[in-house]
Amino acid sequence: MPRYELSLILKAMQRPETAATLRRTIETLMERGAVVRDLENLGERLLPYKIDKHNARHSRGSYFLVDFYAAPSILTSFLDHLHRDVDVVRSTILKKDERVSSNNCCAKSSNTSLHL
Amino acid sequence: MFQVIGGRSVQAARLLAPRSVVLVEAVRGRKSRTDPVAKSKEGRIKTPPPVDPVEMVVLKERYSEYQLIMRALRLEFKEEVLRKRYEEETGSRAEERARQEAEEHRALMAWNDQENLRMLKLRVLRVQQEAEEAQRKKLEVIMQREQEQQELLKDKEKEILQLQEDVKNFITLENLDQRIEEALDNPKNYNFAIDKEGRVVKQTLLQ
Repeated sequence: MPRYELSLILKAMQRPETAATLRRTIETLMERGAVVRDLENLGERLLPYKIDKHNARHSRGSYFLVDFYAAPSILTSFLDHLHRDVDVVRSTILKKDERVSSNNCCAKSSNTSLHL
Repeated sequence: MFQVIGGRSVQAARLLAPRSVVLVEAVRGRKSRTDPVAKSKEGRIKTPPPVDPVEMVVLKERYSEYQLIMRALRLEFKEEVLRKRYEEETGSRAEERARQEAEEHRALMAWNDQENLRMLKLRVLRVQQEAEEAQRKKLEVIMQREQEQQELLKDKEKEILQLQEDVKNFITLENLDQRIEEALDNPKNYNFAIDKEGRVVKQTLLQ
């Protein structure tokens, strides 16, 4: 099965509500036969621009990343479902590429890093 | 009336190879046969050139002698040529020569056969070696192919094992809540800064 990545922007809510939304989303995914691999939180931050969605103007949002394995046929219906969810501000599903082998890397990566 | 024979005129005259450079012959010019004679030529009587009988006799004798000698010489030369040819074909040395030629021919044919045999042997050897080479190369290629397949299989197996390891960390219905709590507790930051020397700064301000 191909591997997808769902980047989710949720409304800035309290913790239990966010948890509930996430739970809802992942359960929907699992109902459609996907295997969820990992869930990452990219923090709650200021959106790059104000987004209008579901009759509400959002200036802050919490970013989440879900990577999962799924059949391609469920994607459109799942996206529809996400669009209709009131708490979801923006959702994008991308295919996950294979990791680029570091043998062909031309730039030499140095190990030193600036400590601030 | 008299025309100079150039290259395109009478063939016979050309073949006779005249002594003089220029050969002249009578040719009807402007006037045809039926035209009247010209006024200036009205009373003309053509007379052959005068001949001195004594001179003529002497000349005739000398000419006949000369021609006799010339003919004799010519015939003799011709006879010599014919005799030589005859002797060459059916003379005494003809048989020896024929035998020698036959010998040479046989020797050369034998040598040719030897050469052919030698070439045959070399060729057979060469072909055999090439066949062996080809066989070996084929085997090599097959081995290579098999090896590559083996390596592919190994890679795939490694991937599968890796995946089996990863499966233990997947999210299931049981640990869903736990994972959500975990995720909400640890926000991840993928931003970093880099400068031209390649120094990486992973610690950035998360708003």
